[in-house]
Amino acid sequence: MEFVVFVIAAAVAVAAALMMVLQRNAMYSALFLVLTFFCIAVFYVLLGAFFLAVVQVAVYAGAIMVLMLFVLMLLNVAHPEPADRRLAFLKPFGVIAALVLVIELAVAVLQAPTEPAAAVGGAATGAARQATPIARPAPATPAPAFPLPPEGVGAAEVGHTQALASVLFTRFLLPFEVTSILLLAAILGATVLARKRPETT
Amino acid sequence: MPPGFALPALPATVPTEAYVVLSAVLFAIGTLGVLLRKNALTIFMSIELMLNAVNVAFVAFARQFGQFDGQIFVFFVMAVAAAEVAVGLGIIVDIFRSRRTVDIDDVSWLRG
Repeated sequence: MEFVVFVIAAAVAVAAALMMVLQRNAMYSALFLVLTFFCIAVFYVLLGAFFLAVVQVAVYAGAIMVLMLFVLMLLNVAHPEPADRRLAFLKPFGVIAALVLVIELAVAVLQAPTEPAAAVGGAATGAARQATPIARPAPATPAPAFPLPPEGVGAAEVGHTQALASVLFTRFLLPFEVTSILLLAAILGATVLARKRPETT
Repeated sequence: MPPGFALPALPATVPTEAYVVLSAVLFAIGTLGVLLRKNALTIFMSIELMLNAVNVAFVAFARQFGQFDGQIFVFFVMAVAAAEVAVGLGIIVDIFRSRRTVDIDDVSWLRG
């Protein structure tokens, strides 16, 4: 059942992404991208990341794409791109480069150890990888001041909002705060860029 | 679903490799968009698609290893993407103000 949902969502996601890329009208591209984002939210649900699925719909499909559509309509450039005039000979090279990337990534994925979670620390990946026990459950954070989930946060627990928050606000507190500074800088930058500047040029 | 009733060919859960392959395909489609399109806004959307493709791989690996780190990283990627969209759209609007176009072929001042 889960596999069927995955296959359907994956087919829709890839088809919508292709339509997004091949569409000449930027407005249709944006709407197909929203469809792809919804499919990605479906993947998050299948992977147990329920909170991320909600954030995906609210932030990406909601806020970011609304911002894009807003600018698209503000600039009124949604009319179809004219069939290319200069540099048209470069388009096949773009397709070839993307195909090469697909082949490269496919080879990289297929050559990776296929045994999930067991082969990571195995001999195939070398001794350096063995030093870092990636495959183990999350180590307990030192002196948790918050009610952490029961120890050994397993795959079944991943995605529970409370557990996610307790990790985010303890082990990843500093990156979280740095992110807030980044967002502040982005707000200031966007404001400066969008401001009506005096005619000095 | 009773065991005799289930289709035998289908695995119970989707393997991580399937998500990684899907992520690679979506990333390549995003790359194709960046290479093919001339509209700056469409290129922006393609970059968003690439970021999302990477996020799928992150969440898939988070499930495989039973750790939150991948999901936490997706949060940070989303925050950076939001900041990038805000600043990037500001730049595009600014370019449109001075040039009346968002075609990247017309905005090649930096070409050496």
